[in-house]
Formats: sequence, structure tokens, C-alpha cells
Amino acid sequence: MSRRDTLLRKLLFSLLTIFVVLVINFMLFRVLPGDPVRSVIGRNVRISAEMQASLREQFGLDKPVFPDQFLATLGQWAGGNLGVSWSLRQPVAEVLMSKLGNTLLLIGLGQILAIFFGVLLGLFAGWKRKTSFDVGALTFSLIAWATPTFWLGIILLAAGSTWLGLPTGGIVSPQNVGKPLYTVLPDLARHLVLPTLTMTILYLGEYMLIMRSSILEVLSEDYILTAKAKGMSHWQVLWRHGLKNAMLPIVTMIALNLGFTVSGAIYIETVFSYDGLGKLFHTALIRQDYPLLQGAFLLLAVSVIVANMLADILYTYLDPRVKAN
Amino acid sequence: MKKIVVFCLLIAALLLAACGGQPAAPQQDSGAALRVGWLGFPDTLNPAYAFLSESYTMFDLVYSTLMTEQLDGSYAGLLAESWSESDDGLVWTFTLRPNIKWHNGESLTAEQVAWNINAFITNSDGWVTNYGYIIGFVEARALDERSLEIELEYPISNMEFRVSFLYIVHPKDFEGFTTPEDLQNFSNFSPIGTGPFKISTLDKDRRVIILDANADYFDGQAKLGQLVYQTFDNSDALIQALKVGDVDFAAEVPTSAFKSVETFEGVTAVALSGRSLSQVILNSAPDGHDPTPNRNPAITDPAVRLAIATAINKKDLVDVVLQGQGLPGVGIVPPTLGGGFWFNSSLTDVSFNLAEASRILEEAGYVLDADGVRAKGGVRLEMRLQFPSDSSNYPRAADMIANWLKEIGIKATPSAVDPDSLVVATNPNADFDMVIWGWGSDPDPDFMLSVMTSEQYVEGGWNDSGYSNPEYDELFAEQQMTIDDTARQKIVWEMQEMLFNDRAYIVLWYDDVLQAYRSDRFTGFIEYPTGIDAFQSLMNVEPVK
Repeated sequence: MSRRDTLLRKLLFSLLTIFVVLVINFMLFRVLPGDPVRSVIGRNVRISAEMQASLREQFGLDKPVFPDQFLATLGQWAGGNLGVSWSLRQPVAEVLMSKLGNTLLLIGLGQILAIFFGVLLGLFAGWKRKTSFDVGALTFSLIAWATPTFWLGIILLAAGSTWLGLPTGGIVSPQNVGKPLYTVLPDLARHLVLPTLTMTILYLGEYMLIMRSSILEVLSEDYILTAKAKGMSHWQVLWRHGLKNAMLPIVTMIALNLGFTVSGAIYIETVFSYDGLGKLFHTALIRQDYPLLQGAFLLLAVSVIVANMLADILYTYLDPRVKAN
Repeated sequence: MKKIVVFCLLIAALLLAACGGQPAAPQQDSGAALRVGWLGFPDTLNPAYAFLSESYTMFDLVYSTLMTEQLDGSYAGLLAESWSESDDGLVWTFTLRPNIKWHNGESLTAEQVAWNINAFITNSDGWVTNYGYIIGFVEARALDERSLEIELEYPISNMEFRVSFLYIVHPKDFEGFTTPEDLQNFSNFSPIGTGPFKISTLDKDRRVIILDANADYFDGQAKLGQLVYQTFDNSDALIQALKVGDVDFAAEVPTSAFKSVETFEGVTAVALSGRSLSQVILNSAPDGHDPTPNRNPAITDPAVRLAIATAINKKDLVDVVLQGQGLPGVGIVPPTLGGGFWFNSSLTDVSFNLAEASRILEEAGYVLDADGVRAKGGVRLEMRLQFPSDSSNYPRAADMIANWLKEIGIKATPSAVDPDSLVVATNPNADFDMVIWGWGSDPDPDFMLSVMTSEQYVEGGWNDSGYSNPEYDELFAEQQMTIDDTARQKIVWEMQEMLFNDRAYIVLWYDDVLQAYRSDRFTGFIEYPTGIDAFQSLMNVEPVK
């Protein structure tokens, strides 16, 4: 089978998966206990039973879930329309896109740094096995991996704002809102330091541990011995033969993480008042905002599936065995 | 390897640059801009469809109403200069102040105010959040440039309160919508109002709102030049921001942090009596209710209710759960309403006495089993004590109450329940024994009293106890139409007493509003029951000289 056929098949399968996820999500939110209208309006307002009925009708909740609500939703999706959020009264696609940018900025930066330093640390720890560097890096990674996000975030927030004068929340300072981000880069950087640092520390441990065990396995292979016998330097062996082979599990890990982290690093967003997708998902769930929930989970499903597809494709380049099959 | 070194150096440089940079100076004269940190963001700025309290904070700043509540709980004119009601109470006439200008420079006319009221009446499905305030309104008519009259179906006792919640919007912004849905989908993030501040920047993706003082405000320009609202997602970060001076005002201080905020240098923490209450709801649904109530039958026994009330130490709850920032509760109307006018101060709460509570149960025939739980005729006093899972105060309260009840032979099992499920469990399902929950009251007692009416015990209604008492319902209707305040007060007091004696609610406490501000930078805050950030207070705030 040619690579094109493989990709096409994967693409079709991915689309099917997305559709199944959509249908399951549609049903899942509707079996949640509670009344969406009540959740949307909250507890502290004077919306009479009559007005609630009027809203219920407007949202289509007065009709049976099957087939009416289901068909209406399918029709909407088919037209490429995700609907209007009940609680925010803005088009779902618009709300999602605006938060997606914020989230990608934070998560992208945090993940790149975590991957870079995690892989580097793991590589050296594996290479220098049983030295004090290895023990130190291992201990640090285990602690970093086990640290609760919220706790680490709050500690860094208190320390960073007290001693370094870093901002306590937000993406840019209030006086810089409304300006394009590239015009306020120093301010943006100051706001990103603490959340990015938190994210980097938390994910670094995971990458380091996997990289370390992976490189240990690779280093015991015969071809490494051969490379050494050919007279290659330590660096050349590690770089050309070790790293590339040891990267395979890391690629899988990165793909999985990137897919799921689009759901937003909800704890980090909450601690640093960073307005991303995670927080939005939470609000949508609390207020039982079906259109927003459906849109959010569609985005999540698509990102996980796309990330996995990318990993698959990357594999065909990294691993000759996959190509041969 | 070189690339790695370069990358590391780049990261280090970026970090250093970020840490070293000075905090950017506020845009304008820093003394004139009050930076407010709060824990939310308006859902929309459309008064037809706004549910979050943050939206209403903005409405108060940007819009005006015909009348407004004063510090003592009475009402004064805001847009209205004078007002009168006809002898039969069916027509109210308002005369507007002269020279009121919209933010766009146009003059406000009585015609525009009448357009608002009529839109609320005729398109009530669209203006859902106003509906509760215009029930009984027939029509509004402009009489001339500055005066209008509102015709009513029946005399309305709390008319002044009602119009104090009707924000007058510019018809130009709202008259183009043909369906309720279109009207509600309008976010109105650039509102034109007549209020003391106008929005200059609203960024919903950065969650920052900047308002400038309205120089043409009819009641004089605010002393502040600017208000800057910044959203925080957790209260610890907000308190830290106040401490390091990133914000000048924290709109919400958590109970657990209040004592430490009091010790911050240059910060003043404020606790003021608010309008919220928390209560234990006892399942009071009538036996014939559909669906059949699922509860321990003993919960409807007046002796058991009295015993439970006697076994709850409200003062301890306030001291421990609220860390002293509140008052023990008695009746359903909080003491701040109408400056205390509506609160029945003659009610005396039962005093906490575990021995007495045990005696009451003993006398009513509930006998101690070997396992320490009382029973009567096969009914054991084992009950659920549920509370909404989004509360930080209720778990502690539930544990304390369960411990007291255990001492008198009632086994109460506390459990946190998702608030959505709890809504359905209480109304319409009547599937609970005891639930701890709370309310935020209006300044008028009407809403809190309505919560106990049979009319509200329908799906989507606000009656969560199932209490149903025809005599009470009659009094409720009567107070709504009693225009004389003293006569209405008498009825309102009687209703509170009735509820107190029937114990569908055991009111636990009235909690304080906790806020804090940088007193080294700003002064002039006034304590309103909604907080020191009420718009009348913010009008008076100025930088420390």
C-alpha cells in the first residue's frame, strides 16, 4: 500500500472517529442531571418559571432529544455551524477560536521548553548512568512529576510577584489590552514567565524519565557497540545513533500530550488567571451550556486525533520499519 | 551542541528580560485610575439577558435607573427628579431631571424612557431578566420632553424598588431586533448609557474593562478619572495582587483570607453586613405532591424540627465557618433590608441546648436505640444532610451540624451534591431530608418571601422546601398590593414569624460582604450593603493626597 493510500485511510478513519465522538458527546451531556436553563441562569436572579419555559423553548429543550434535538443539532453541524452559546450568547466557534489562541501560546511555549529540557536531561542522565548527575536529575524529575500543579503554581506566583515583581495574572497588563500582541512583547513575556515555568517544570519530569529509560535501552543495542568500534566519538554515537532511535517513544508521548493539552492546562490557567480553553470548558460544564460543550469537545477530539495522525506520519519518517510495513 | 547552548542562552536572556523589566506604568495619572480585581467577568452587557453579578456592576456604572436605593434603605430619584402616584395607586408619574445626556452627547427624553418600559412589557420573552420587575405594568406614556407616566394593573407596593432595577438603555441600540433570540444574542459590549462612567475598552479575551469618568454626568463628575477591572480566576492570586499592589481594590475576599488581609501594610479590609443568608432546608413538600416526596417522614414532625433547631449552635457556626464575619440567622428576611425596616426584630431564636433538644425528642416519643439513634414506631432518625458541592463553607457547617445532631440521637449523613442535581432533588422531586443552601436577597423583601409561596412550587419555581401554606400565600399577595409602608411592614413581619415557627427553613447565618482596598492610595469609600464598590461609593472615591 502506498503512503498516499495509508494516509487517505487514516484520514477517513479519523473523520469517522470524530463523528462518533460528536454523537456520543451529544448524548453524554444530555444524560447529565439537572436542567440546563437553571444552570445557565444561575440561582441568584428573578427569572420566573414562565420565562424559563420561554428560554427552554428557544433552546429547543421542550422537544424530545430523539429525534428532534438530535436532528436539529446534526443539521447545524452539517452546515458548519456550531451554534450560539447559551450562557455567553456569542457564536461558539468565535468563543473557541479566541481562547484557542491564548491556550496555544501558553501550552506551545511550555511544551517546547519541557520537551527540550526534558529530552536533554534524560539523554545525559542515561548517558552518565549511575553518576551523581543521573541521580540528581532523576530525583528532580520524579519530584517535578509528582508535584500538584495548583500548589506549584501558587508557590511560584507568590514568590515571583513578591521578589521579582512579576504580574499576578492575565496575559498582558490592562493598559496594553486591545493592542496587537507583537507590539507589547516585553509585557507579554513578563506575564508568560510564571505560567510557562510552571508548565515546563511539570512536564519536564515526564519527558526526562521516558527519555532516560529509552536511551538506556538503545545504548545496550549491538549497533551502538559497532558504532563505538568504528571509532566514533561519544558525541557522534549519542547524537547520530542514540538520540534518533530513542526519540520514538517521546514522539508518541508528545503527540498524546499535545492533543490533550488543547483541552487547556486548567489548573495553570486558573492559578494565573490565564483566559484559555481549560477555564472555558469548566464554565461550559458548570452552566450546562450544550452548544458550547459540544463545540469544545469537538475541538478536543479533533486535536487529539490530528496529533495522533501527525505522530503516525512522523513515525514513517523516523522509523524505517514502519515505512517497510 | 552549539545550537543547544545558543537556545539555552536565548531562554535565559528572555527570562532575565522579563524579570528585569519594570512594571509598566499605568496609562494615565496613576492616582486617578482605580484598578479593581474581581473574580468574574460579565456574561454580556445586554440588560435583557445577563445573569452574572459582574454584568450588573457594569450596568450600575454605565446605565441609570429612574430611582436608586440610598444608604438607609429608602429610595431617591436618579434619572427622576420627582415622582408621584395617583390616589388609587394605578398611575405613577415621573419627571426627569433636566439636561441628562447620553454618552454620545444626545439628550435623554421621556419618550425614550417610555420606549424602554414598553419594550420590557411587550417583549417580555426577550427582556427575560426584567420580567420580574414589570409584572403588573400596563403601559408607559411620555407626557412631554421630561415627564412620563406608568400605568399599572393593580397598586404595586414596591414600585420604587422595581424601577430601581430597570436600566434605561438607548432605544437606538435595541429597537432593531425582531425576535427575542436576536435581542438576547446582542452582547452590547459598547453600551451607550447615561451613567457616571463610560466604557472605553472592553476586551473579553483578556478580560479587562476600562471605564472613563463621564464628564457630562448629570449628578457631577466622579472624582476618579478611570476604573480598570481585571479578572482573576482564583482568590489567592487576587489577594496576592492586592498585597503587592497590582490592584487597588479586591471585590471579594475569601473568609479564610480575611484575617491575614487585615494585616497587610497599606491595605484596609472591610466587612459589611450584606443581603445573603444560608439556611438548612427541611423537606416540607405536601404528602400529596407529585412525585411523592422521598424523605424520612420524621422530618415533617414539628417536634423533630424544633429539636434540630435547638441543637444547632449558630454562634459557633458564625465563629468557625465564617470566622466571625457574619451574624447568626433568625428569619428569612436579612436584617439589612430597607435599613432594617423589613427585618422582624421581635423574633427570638431558640437557644442552643442539646439537653433540651434531647428532651423534646424524648417527649415526642423518639426512644434511643442501642446504637445511639432515636426511633419511633419503626422510623429511625437517620437523615441525609446535603449541600451543593461548589460551596467552601457548607462542608464545615454540615460536619458541625451532624455532630450536634448525633448528640441528640439523630444520625445525619453529610454529603456534597452537584448543584444542578440538588435543584432537581429539591424542586420538583422533593427527594431530600435536609439541604444546606443559601440566597442572595433583593433589597426589597418581596423576593425572599416569594420563595416560600405555593405559586413558586412548580417546576422552575424558586420554592425549594416545598412549603405550602394558603394563609401565607394570601398574606404574600396582600403585601404586594399594600402601598402604605407601615401596613406592609406589619404583614411582612407576620409572614416571617409564620415561617420561623413552621421551620421549613432554619436560617443559619447572614454573611458579611468582605472586600479590601489599598488605603495608602485611595480614600472615600462608602459602605453600601452590596459593597464599597457600589456606584455611589465609587463616585466618591479619590486618590490619597
